Amino acid sequence: MSTIVVLGAGVSGHTAALTLRKNLGKEHKIIVVSPNSKYQWIPSNIWVGIGRMKSQQVTFPLAPVYKRMNVDFVQAKAHTIYPEGDAASVQPFVSVTYTLEERQGETENIPYDYLINATGPKLKFEATEGLSPEQGNCNSVCTYQHAEHTWENLQKVFGKMEAGEKQTIVIGTGHPMATCQGAAFEYVLNIAFEVRKRKLEEFAELIWLTNEYEVGDFGMGGAYVRRNGYITSTTVFTESILAEYGIRWIKRAGVKKIDQNVIYYENLEGEHLEQPFDFTMLIPSFSGVGLQAFDREGKDITEKIFAPNGFMKVDADYTQKPYEEWDAEDWPSIYRNPSYHNLYAAGIAFAPPHAISKPMKSKNGTMISPTPPRTGMPSGVIGKIVALNIADQVKSGLNDHRHKASMAKMGAACVVSAGYGLQSGMAATMTVFPIVQNWKKYPRWGRDLDYTVGEAGLAGHWIKLMLHYLFLYKAQAKPLWWLIPE
Amino acid sequence: MENKKFIPYSEISFVTVPGKATRFFRKFIPWQIYRFVVLNWKMMRIVIGGHS
Repeated sequence: MSTIVVLGAGVSGHTAALTLRKNLGKEHKIIVVSPNSKYQWIPSNIWVGIGRMKSQQVTFPLAPVYKRMNVDFVQAKAHTIYPEGDAASVQPFVSVTYTLEERQGETENIPYDYLINATGPKLKFEATEGLSPEQGNCNSVCTYQHAEHTWENLQKVFGKMEAGEKQTIVIGTGHPMATCQGAAFEYVLNIAFEVRKRKLEEFAELIWLTNEYEVGDFGMGGAYVRRNGYITSTTVFTESILAEYGIRWIKRAGVKKIDQNVIYYENLEGEHLEQPFDFTMLIPSFSGVGLQAFDREGKDITEKIFAPNGFMKVDADYTQKPYEEWDAEDWPSIYRNPSYHNLYAAGIAFAPPHAISKPMKSKNGTMISPTPPRTGMPSGVIGKIVALNIADQVKSGLNDHRHKASMAKMGAACVVSAGYGLQSGMAATMTVFPIVQNWKKYPRWGRDLDYTVGEAGLAGHWIKLMLHYLFLYKAQAKPLWWLIPE
Repeated sequence: MENKKFIPYSEISFVTVPGKATRFFRKFIPWQIYRFVVLNWKMMRIVIGGHS
C-alpha cells in the first residue's frame, strides 16, 4: 500500500488527486491537504468581479467530492516537509496545521510515500505598498471573495458615472514583475463592455497599465498569428482590441506604490510617474507559499528544495544564463525534485528555469517585465502527468516516467473574455504551440504557426462559458468526468 | 464597439481596428456557430498533442 499526499486543491492538485484515484486501487491512500474548504474555478472570477456570476457559481465544497471519490481530505495548511523523516523514523512526512473550524490550529504530521506540491502561488500583495485589497485602495479578482468585494466597489463607480461624475478606471499589473496579465486584461475588457452596455462611455476613462514591454506579451513573449494573409504579432491584435474598446494603455510600467487615489510607477526610461484613479484592480506578484523543509537531523534544507522565490525546484536547468542562450530544453518535463525522487511539484508551485518574456531593466536597475504564467491548461496537464507517473511507479515498482509535459513542448489555449452575453458577448480565442518558444525547432517565429490562433467573436464567449461548465463538471467528478481533457 | 475616443497622433490612433463587416460577422450567429466548431477543433488539436 502506498500513501500519496497532494498539497493543494486548485486546478493542478485537484486534477492530480482525481487522476491518482482513477488509476490506483482502493488499497492505496490518497490524501489532499488544502486550507480551503471550497474548490474555485478561478478563470470565471472575472465574471464575479463584474456581477455576471455569483461566487456560488464558480465554487463548490471539496469534502463531499473527495468522500465520494474515496480521497481523504485534510482541511489544513501544509508548512514543513521532512523528506527524510526525522530522528524517530525514516518515513517522510509533511507537517500541517488545521484550518478546519473544529480543529483550528491543531498540528498533524502526515506520512507519505509520494508528495505532490500543488500549493499554487502566494498572492504577494505586500511586495507593493498599498496594493492589498484589505487596505482599501486597490481591488483584486484573484479569489472569489476578492472578486465579490470588487464587484461591490465597481457598482459604486457605475453609480457615480450614472450621476454624471467622470471616473478613471485603471486595470493591470501591480508589481514590476507580476504575471497573469490575461486575467487583468479580461477584466478591463469586461468593464469596458459593461460601461458601454450602460451607455456611460463619456464618463469613463479606462486605462490598461502593464509591465509588458509591448501589450500582448502576456508573459510569454507575445506570439505571432496567421490572419488575413499576414503574420501578425499579438501586440497588433491586443492594441486593436484595446482601441476598439476605448481603452488607453500605459506599458513598461512597474508599479511601486498605491495610495488612496494615485498609482506610483517607474517605467523603463527610469522615470517615476503617477497615475490618478477612482477605481483600480491590479494583479500582485506571486511567490511560493513559504513551505520549509528539514532533513533527518533537523537541519534546514529549504534552499536545497526550493528556489529563492519559494517555488519548488524540479527537473529544470536552473543555470543562470542570458536571454539569448535560453533553450527549450531548460524547461522541466516530469516535475520531480532533483534531491528527493518522491517529491513532485505541479502547476504554479514548480520553479520555472527563467522567464519566457525577455527580461527588461529600467535605467535605475529595476526589473520591469512579466514572470512566466503557468496557470489554467498547463497546470491541469502537469497535475495529470505527475499523477500518471506516480500511479505507474506505484503499480510497477519501477522509477519510470512515461508521461512528459514540458511547457516547451505543450500548447495552450486561452479564451480571453471581452464581454458577457449569449448573443452580445465576445471573447478572444488564442492558442499557441508551444507555450515556451522553441527557437531551435521554429527559428523564425519561435512557435508553430499552424497551431497558433487569435480570433475575436461571440463564439469565443460560448467557448469560455462551455469551459466554465465543463471544467466544474469535471472537477466535481461527475459521471465520465475523466473524458473531459485538461 | 465603435470607438469615439480617437485623438489624432495619439498612440491609439495608429492602431488597426475592425471595420463594419468584421464587427458584423463577430456577432452573426450562423457564422459564429461555424467558428465555434472550428475553434473547438483547433483547441482540441492542441490539447491532444500537448502531452504524452
